[in-house]
Amino acid sequence: MIRIDGQIVSPGAGGVYNERMVKGYRVWDPYRSKLAALCMLDESVDLTADMKVLYLGAANGTTVSHVADYVNVVYAVEFAPRPLRDLLVVAEKRKNVVPIAGDATRPDRYAPFLEEVDLLYQDVAQPDQAGILIKHLPFLKQGAGIDGGMAAILMLKTRSVDIRRTPEEVFAETIERLTGAGLSILNTCWLEPYHHDHAAIVCGVGER
Amino acid sequence: MTEYWCGSIDDGGVLVPCVGSAVELLARVESLKTNMQTFRPLTADLIEGSGIFPDRAEYLRRLREVTILQVQGVIEAAASGKDAELLQMVRMLDQMDEVINLLSERLVEWYQVTNPAFSQKGRQGSVKRVLPKIKRSRSRPLRGMADELEGLIAARTSLAADVSRLAAQVIPNTSELVGGLVAARVMARAGGLEKLARMPGSSVQVIGAEAALFSHIRGNSPSPKHGIIFQHRRVHNAPREIRGRVARVLAAKLAIAARIDFYRGEADPGFLSSAQALIDGVTGRGTE
Repeated sequence: MIRIDGQIVSPGAGGVYNERMVKGYRVWDPYRSKLAALCMLDESVDLTADMKVLYLGAANGTTVSHVADYVNVVYAVEFAPRPLRDLLVVAEKRKNVVPIAGDATRPDRYAPFLEEVDLLYQDVAQPDQAGILIKHLPFLKQGAGIDGGMAAILMLKTRSVDIRRTPEEVFAETIERLTGAGLSILNTCWLEPYHHDHAAIVCGVGER
Repeated sequence: MTEYWCGSIDDGGVLVPCVGSAVELLARVESLKTNMQTFRPLTADLIEGSGIFPDRAEYLRRLREVTILQVQGVIEAAASGKDAELLQMVRMLDQMDEVINLLSERLVEWYQVTNPAFSQKGRQGSVKRVLPKIKRSRSRPLRGMADELEGLIAARTSLAADVSRLAAQVIPNTSELVGGLVAARVMARAGGLEKLARMPGSSVQVIGAEAALFSHIRGNSPSPKHGIIFQHRRVHNAPREIRGRVARVLAAKLAIAARIDFYRGEADPGFLSSAQALIDGVTGRGTE
């Protein structure tokens, strides 16, 4: 990650969403993007130029545009038509963004478009957030994340899962499901003070 | 055999290309049935080994042609639904109500400054009754604003009529049961006709009462009996004791009506007469 004066930035053409520029780099605001918040809180998270990323819940493509500045290709899946329009505009400017309209609970519908990826990024705020990530494990490159490397990031919005339970309960259950599916937990953190009731879970692949 | 957007793997493990324009490739992908149990994604080796694409940039360029087309198709389909415009009209209408309320409150307060003797006590209800008085105020700016607000109220009235008219065309069955305005509001709150058509009656019943519903789920309060459908006369005119029952029966029929509207798109007189009779039966049965 490139940092300038304690801020996370990304290299690339600006003007995607009126982001600030510093020394020719695009400032990546942790208050807007959960991934930027995670990078502020966990310095070990890194995106590299050879990475292929499957991004679930691409929304308007703001975070996608920053990820695309760092990596080889981003497969950006989004379900709702309105944010898709904005995502399309981002994809027109960035040739390494592959926009896909799809429901992340049904990966079979868009699987033929995808290739093996190094990183799964799950930011779909649906009740079964862990399940959505687990359904996409077949897209991980063989061997990705086995030697302690990062293979998946889940942005857990605890309020979307079940409002009857506390964020801590939802969090604990999610961790259990992920480890049960063969993932290992590398790091977890609540995204305070940038986002409330959101936890980031960084996973590797455990013993298969 | 595993199928991909640009070809399929044959028994020898080689990627056999699939030729065609982006439109044809997209149509092929959409017809595919992928089994996630056995699916393995494309790999860089497979793509390179197939020789279909001279380099990685070309692979991405061709793939993006197809997926961008796919995204455009989804966006167009969402905007072309008959309910899309009705949805915007209802939301505009509800927001106009909010704005009109805010502005009239301010206007009356302003008027009170220019005419300290004025009190709204005993004039409860619509601003419309106070407006003529305000328009005779000594303050010229105040009179101007009153005129503008009057215009806004007129625009709101005509938009409400337009909503009713369009609703009767787009969602004939639901409109027939609860009237165009309420039907359109329920539809808008559900997020569109398709979403409403896939909703169970119990959800339709409490659409618009989300705060009460979640408070109930947390265990703090009794369950809400009605949301937006309370605005329909058969619900709000019903005696308190049977209001919940009326709302439940009405919502169940609304859910069916929405499905007829979405999948068939025309009024079903047989369904409507039996549904109306059932709802009126509940209302008429009273509390005995």
